[in-house]
Amino acid sequence: MEVKLHDIGEGMTEAVVLSYFVKKGDYVKADQPLVEVQTDKMVAEIPAPAAGIIQDILVPEGETISVGTTILTLEAKSPPLVETMSNQPNVTAESVHLFAVKKEETVCAKRMIERRVLASPYTRKIAREHGVDLEQVVGTGRGGRITDEDVYRFIETNNAKQTNHSSVAGGGTESQSFEKADDNAPSFSVIPFRGRRKQIAKKMAQSLYTIPHCTHFEEADVTELIRFREELKQQNFHISATAFFIKALSLALKQFPIFNARLDEEREVIHLKQEHHIGIAVDTEEGLIVPVIKHVESKSLREIHEEAKRLTKKAQENKLTLQEMTGSTFTVSNVGPLGGSIGATPIINYPEVALMAFHKTKKRPVVMENDEIAVRSMMNISMSFDHRVADGATAVAFTNYFVRLIENPKLMLMELI
Amino acid sequence: MVVGELAHERDVVIIGGGPGGYNAAIRAAQLGLSVTLIEKAELGGVCLNKGCIPSKVFAHAAQKMAELPHIKEIGIELGHASFQLGKLQNYKTKVVTQLRQGVEALCKANRIEVICGKASFLAEDRIGVESGEVFDVYRFRHAIIATGASYVSPPSINIDHERILNAYSIYGLETLPSHLLVYGDDYIAIEVAMSFKMFGSQVSVITNDGTFGLDEAVAKELQRIWKKRKIKLYQHCKVESVTSSPDAVAATLKTATGETVTVEGSHIFVACEAKANVDGLGIDRLGIQRTEQGFIEINYQAQTSLPHIFAVGDVTGGPMLAVKAIKQGKVAAETIAGKQSEIDLTFLPTIVHSIPPIAGVGLTEDEAKAQYEDIRVGSFPVAGNGYAGIIGQKDGLVKIISDAKNDVILGVHMIGVGAVELISSGIIGLEMAAREEDMKFPFYPHPSSNESLLEAVESLQAEAIHLSPAMQKGSKKKAVSR
Repeated sequence: MEVKLHDIGEGMTEAVVLSYFVKKGDYVKADQPLVEVQTDKMVAEIPAPAAGIIQDILVPEGETISVGTTILTLEAKSPPLVETMSNQPNVTAESVHLFAVKKEETVCAKRMIERRVLASPYTRKIAREHGVDLEQVVGTGRGGRITDEDVYRFIETNNAKQTNHSSVAGGGTESQSFEKADDNAPSFSVIPFRGRRKQIAKKMAQSLYTIPHCTHFEEADVTELIRFREELKQQNFHISATAFFIKALSLALKQFPIFNARLDEEREVIHLKQEHHIGIAVDTEEGLIVPVIKHVESKSLREIHEEAKRLTKKAQENKLTLQEMTGSTFTVSNVGPLGGSIGATPIINYPEVALMAFHKTKKRPVVMENDEIAVRSMMNISMSFDHRVADGATAVAFTNYFVRLIENPKLMLMELI
Repeated sequence: MVVGELAHERDVVIIGGGPGGYNAAIRAAQLGLSVTLIEKAELGGVCLNKGCIPSKVFAHAAQKMAELPHIKEIGIELGHASFQLGKLQNYKTKVVTQLRQGVEALCKANRIEVICGKASFLAEDRIGVESGEVFDVYRFRHAIIATGASYVSPPSINIDHERILNAYSIYGLETLPSHLLVYGDDYIAIEVAMSFKMFGSQVSVITNDGTFGLDEAVAKELQRIWKKRKIKLYQHCKVESVTSSPDAVAATLKTATGETVTVEGSHIFVACEAKANVDGLGIDRLGIQRTEQGFIEINYQAQTSLPHIFAVGDVTGGPMLAVKAIKQGKVAAETIAGKQSEIDLTFLPTIVHSIPPIAGVGLTEDEAKAQYEDIRVGSFPVAGNGYAGIIGQKDGLVKIISDAKNDVILGVHMIGVGAVELISSGIIGLEMAAREEDMKFPFYPHPSSNESLLEAVESLQAEAIHLSPAMQKGSKKKAVSR
């Protein structure tokens, strides 16, 4: 039986195979998730159409495939053991009768060994006591061994999700909510935690658990930039502030390539990227999404402006293609236009090294060089960076360089090729 | 149910006082629950009264018989040695009685109410106990069914317990069979064959596959030992029928090639299938789910399809082993007490008290090959162990299997002196997800049988000291020059 990439809806045509939950030879139950794919809209799991044994995995992880492509093959087989008992409190859904007499014993033994997770009994007990299914936990120990820390991390991630949930419910812990539900008096509404929301959650958790974040704040006097944009307007050039930020950023990245990099801990190297693919965080109805302007380093301000406009529009209309939302090397978040916000501690778009957020521009009294107080347009910047890869001093030098370009936009002329 | 009938209220009512039942009872009492244990015969169940313990008394005596030539060899003269089965029976009774009294004392010390009677479910929360003329009703919050299983004769063989014997009656014999036929594929058949051979009976083993569920190398070594001990083996044979006369039995076998052979002996032991003891228990009335074979289905917490009713031990099917029942009993009690407990049979050990003993845990080589891409196999002959030389018990081998990809140990199998004790190291290693280094690094007492395990682990990478290079299949290390 071939398991294909089906049209999951919303006119998708292709998807990236993110990761497999199964390997060749595994026994799977019907509807058990087999593989996770990312489409331009969402991350979806493809379930097993029937119970059986995975015969072959045809598409490697990371590959983009079109709808209709066979991802893996499955040999349909009835389950080796009878499943029993549902609706039991205090019992996992997988209540399986473990043992069978003689003839089924070999099957039984295999089934049991497949359950084997590389974790000591002590670790397994921690998991049981917290209701954690160890098959869902990724072991970080050597040889894939699950450590106590892996289990605790998994519990924390789950708690984070639950906190989200209950804040929607209007406070109270998860268990309390459920108790109420049992009384047939539901006091909250449920939001499905799927699709983009789930993807965002996953990426954020991955980033925050992996990267030691450090955020520093800076302010930039954008009065000159506003003036310059006015001048350009009179020449009929409408260039957004974001485009200037992105251009200035790219120029700063040329000086400080360490922030346009990727850490490969396993091989113990940091890859400095030549190309500046800048992701722009865009707020949409369904949540955050990050379209990417490719090769900013070789694009003019006008090109950057046009492309940013086009991508933002597509993002809001939910029409981004997969290519348009992957491959960023640095991400910016322009929260200024949303109003409010004078600072933030943004979460880095893993596996990038840094992220910069631009906050609301406000007119503020500023002491000028000649000790006079002037009304200037000031903008706050928050920059989070991976402290494994760079240090605070470098980050400050980086933002200094960036701020200098923003405060004196004409300096960018110096970088014209 | 009569109106106004008085019912005794209990947290936990346990039916059956075998290892599953009494372990559940004591653990439940330890956790502060009020416990009633109902047993219709004697505490200790089949294990203590008819199974594990009696058979091990026999195996123990057989081991002593096996050591006689060696005892002479080291200078101890005992004169003419003879074996009296009657005396062994007395000893067996003494051991069983002592152990049973121990269990009774423990139940008492844990304030467990033990009732002698026959139990049956009246409702989802009520059990009736019939004890002579008295009929009492107990209302329970949780119940544990630990009623065990019974042997059923194969359709073509009538077990008469005179000359045609099963695993219970064989250990009740008062006179030694002159020629014992042993028919079976399990560990009991091995123990029976070995024990009676050592006592002086002529023994012939009839088996379907000859591996007895053991790792192939272990089974091969066992067969070698049998050959040496002059135990005749009829492999790939099925017993079609057994006839008995007042002083002999004759078994008609069908061989793999379809030939019919008749083997004669004085007695025959027949390994039997087991059937759950659920008749008259009233569980079908409650709708408790059972397997096709009639065993009670349970989950990893030993819960039946009724979450407040648990089942442990042989009545749940699978391997009929007390070690499993004991664990299930504890898990059931702990779950009832609100603890997060779990049964995981992945590393359930198999042991055989044969001469020499056999023990195994985890995957056999064949199973590992089927499930892993690349495995390593290390093997060490007990003859290479210094201590085995001292005590004159050099038969056997220790075998260990690992995943070549990540060094994780997959299985440990052994036959040889001390195997039953030594396997615990393997079980703990597997439960701790040990890799080769984890098993190789610790000190192993010297001189002792333990060193056989160390050398088997070392031989995975051709590092065993007391094994010639040609005998070590492990991946060869490249020489490193510095």
